[in-house]
Amino acid sequence: MSLTLLTFLPIAGAVVMLIFMRGRPSAYKTTALVTSVLTLGVAIYLAARFRTGTAGFQFIEDHRWIEGLGISYHLGVDGISVLLVLLTTLLTVVAILCSWNSIKDRGLAFFISLLVLETGMLGVFVSMDLFLFYVFWEIQLIPMYFIIGVWGGPRRVYAAIKFFLFTFVGSVVMLVAILAVVWWYAKNGGPLTFDILELQKAGFSGPLAVWSFIAFFVAFAIKVPMFPVHTWLPDAHTEAPTAGSVVLAGVLLKMGVYGMIRFCIGFFPEVAVKAMVPVLILSAVAVIYGAVMSLVQPDMKRLVAYSSVSHMGFITAGLFTFNQQGIEGSVLQMVSHGVLTGALFMMVGFFYDRTHTRLIEDYGGMARPMPVAAAFFSLFVLGSLGLPGLSGFVGEFLILVGVFQYAKVFAVIASVGVVLGAAYLLWMYQRTMFQQTNEKWLSLKDLSAREIVSLAPLVGMAVWIGLYPHTFLNLLHAPTQNIISQVQPYLAERGSSLLEMVGSLFGGF
Amino acid sequence: MQTPDLVPIIPELILLVTALIVLLVEPFLKSDGTGRIDRTALIAITLTGLVGSVAVSLGLSGEDRESFAGMLVLDSWAVFFNVLFGVGAVLTVLMSPGYLEAHRRHLGEYYALLLFAVIGMNLMAAARDFILLYVAIELMAISSYLLAAFFRYRIRSNEASLKYFLTGSFASAILLYGVSLVYGQAGATNYSATGRAMGEIMQSAATGGKAGVLLAVFLVAIGLAFKVSAAPFHMWTPDVYQGAPTPIAAFFSVGPKAAAFSAMMAAFVAAFPGALKEWGLFFIVLSIVTMLAGNLYALVQTNVKRMLAYSSIAHAGYLLAGVGAMGWSGNTLPGQGVMIYLAAYTFMNLGAFGILAYLKAQMPKGFDYSLKSLAGLGRRSPWTASLLTLFLLSLTGIPGTAGFIGKFYVFSGVVWADLWWLAVVGVLLTAVSAYYYLRVVIYMFFREPEREYTLKEPIGGAMAASLAVSAIATVAIGLVPSWLWDAAASGFGALLK
Repeated sequence: MSLTLLTFLPIAGAVVMLIFMRGRPSAYKTTALVTSVLTLGVAIYLAARFRTGTAGFQFIEDHRWIEGLGISYHLGVDGISVLLVLLTTLLTVVAILCSWNSIKDRGLAFFISLLVLETGMLGVFVSMDLFLFYVFWEIQLIPMYFIIGVWGGPRRVYAAIKFFLFTFVGSVVMLVAILAVVWWYAKNGGPLTFDILELQKAGFSGPLAVWSFIAFFVAFAIKVPMFPVHTWLPDAHTEAPTAGSVVLAGVLLKMGVYGMIRFCIGFFPEVAVKAMVPVLILSAVAVIYGAVMSLVQPDMKRLVAYSSVSHMGFITAGLFTFNQQGIEGSVLQMVSHGVLTGALFMMVGFFYDRTHTRLIEDYGGMARPMPVAAAFFSLFVLGSLGLPGLSGFVGEFLILVGVFQYAKVFAVIASVGVVLGAAYLLWMYQRTMFQQTNEKWLSLKDLSAREIVSLAPLVGMAVWIGLYPHTFLNLLHAPTQNIISQVQPYLAERGSSLLEMVGSLFGGF
Repeated sequence: MQTPDLVPIIPELILLVTALIVLLVEPFLKSDGTGRIDRTALIAITLTGLVGSVAVSLGLSGEDRESFAGMLVLDSWAVFFNVLFGVGAVLTVLMSPGYLEAHRRHLGEYYALLLFAVIGMNLMAAARDFILLYVAIELMAISSYLLAAFFRYRIRSNEASLKYFLTGSFASAILLYGVSLVYGQAGATNYSATGRAMGEIMQSAATGGKAGVLLAVFLVAIGLAFKVSAAPFHMWTPDVYQGAPTPIAAFFSVGPKAAAFSAMMAAFVAAFPGALKEWGLFFIVLSIVTMLAGNLYALVQTNVKRMLAYSSIAHAGYLLAGVGAMGWSGNTLPGQGVMIYLAAYTFMNLGAFGILAYLKAQMPKGFDYSLKSLAGLGRRSPWTASLLTLFLLSLTGIPGTAGFIGKFYVFSGVVWADLWWLAVVGVLLTAVSAYYYLRVVIYMFFREPEREYTLKEPIGGAMAASLAVSAIATVAIGLVPSWLWDAAASGFGALLK
């Protein structure tokens, strides 16, 4: 029951708010916060009771749901999902805290949307049934659509519909792939089932595996987002309210990578190995492209959004190296990116609340009126660009080690991305916090206690992962080994010389 | 002469008696002094009749009784659709009074005609003979023409009725021509007898015989394709839906359409098993054209009622994909999906149209169902806007709603038949449909109106009941669809016996 409790606690809170607390902002805000903190508590409790060292799924719940089609209500978590559940619950608390005063219009609906969104995200990470996974995967689109569309910036309608349609197109094609693999397995000796673990045993091969891999991969690549299907991201991030951006960057993008781990690699290890080089190339393009685009953005929020494209490029690259360091680094970097980029969006949000502009050129010398904010901002900027001692470094370093083992070319490209990352982040920091002080902003108030409280857990996480990543990596060893053992037989078949790589690129699948 | 067994038509007889009582009672209703007549009694009678008919159908569901020399059967196939039509009619009746009162056209005939149409629809599902099928279709259609013209002083309503009448008669004629060809070759009009005879002709090598069979199949298919408003035979749909009274448009979009699908599946499965691949392919082609036309036309509509009309064409396309896949693969799996989709579609579409009927009655004068006139509804009437959002999301096919389950089962059948490319076309067009459904949501929640307005009354009374049932069913089917699947499976089991 513990995972059901975890997943549906936010919705329960939302229902209580809807029924009893209409028109009472302080009551529903408090309830929302309490609900999210309780959910975080459940998540921490689960993580504490989680047995590391085994790749098996834990806290399993399995009830039959739609018997005619072998669909069940099947929940469970492994090390990867536990980590992402923790990230989700933490960021939701933070998101609720940071929208405390900035959401003035229709607050009840906003906080309900956030909680419903939390249920959707948690459901994605704990589902062990494809049908259930798909249900949660799609359901979280709706609250996010409203969060962007109702409480967003001036171009919110465009951004909301673009966000929705991009993801929706990807996921409906994935639905056909889901049906295709399920029926293929049922017709070729297996049971009719949507159970993820059962389907992982199916050993899909041939054209079906290739096409299904592509369908799954495109759906997840849109969510990540990988180059060239990333174009919804800058718009959605820029227009979304701060809490929306935090959750979007922090969790929603991770769902894409999570899906790749579970399905693209879990179901089709053979095709995944074949797709290694194309994916690495796309990731490398994303790393450089995202960084270069960040350099030229005049809008702070857009800059952070493009930096996400670059950082997510690292993550997909690490994942598709299929070695211990690469995969572990990739998952750890997901958490780290969630924390740090979430924090950067919050900082931008806090500045925006005071100045009502996000353009870098309007700022300057903010460190003088807001020294505390500047200190926090510097911490997150440095963490994000990979300063040793903070979380960004550990993930990026592991990924680079992993990529280097596979192909030095990509390691070189990726490290160029790191350098560019330092460039755009520090340059932005310099232009906004230092240089000529804008007279208008001299009277601005520094961060309030509430804002500091909402940032504190993120600082804690960044430092914790940076100094003692063992806590988190410990969760990842067993699942990573599991992934590697799945792809190992296919990996052995191919070398990794550059010539073969190029050959495989043009040879396609 | 042997007396026919009347038990299988008890549900229809109940409806017939109810309709006659409604007509008889109306003149005796007293005016309350201001000239307004309280017609609650008529609604109560109609509802009692419908509920009674549904209850009797359910009670007889295990019987499997044939009557009138095999012309009709009351089996679990017919019961499934009797219940579906009965529930659809109940929801329509519940949403009607407010709308009709607002237009000062609240008359007893309305309910009587609705009941006659339901009788026709029930018989369409129960028919196992082309002659009865034709008669049932005409009974349903003539009642529908009259209902479309119910606002006889309005040009649009007249236009709707006339268009419906002309195209409908045309379709009936084509159907009848097909039936006559069937009779000419098979020497029978009974489905199973036809099936045997046509199967033999298809087995034999004679090309002429084959061509004759295919022509007959083709004409019957076109006749029914008109009724389900499949493109390119869909031209009448938007105008009829727009001109007809909104609750009637709601009824048209679910009732007669579902009836035509039930007749289509029963007739083709039972009477043309010899040409499965051929009619399967025909419906697949039709489905692609219909999905494309419905979705692409809906994309450019600025009037919500008209958009829903085109969207109903699109939904006919998804349903036809299931029917086509059923023929192509020779398996009932996609067909069961179609039955579930029809059930899901009944609730969500009635709900969406019901909201429009409510808005027409309660919005200030000049409300024309345009997108613009819905701006800011989310702030002024959160319940209405939220319910409409639920129904639209269900029509889009978002998980957790009936619409998703319908699409899931149909496309699952289509993929099962190895027609995954058809499923890809279908889901991509679903993504297109998300755009026009969500645009309504955008206007309701993300935009502010040009002029301030308020709604006269909150949702209440019969309308509230209708919408609540639709909404609850939409969510319930979305979460626990197993029982529908079992009902659909036993329906097909009975059909193939």
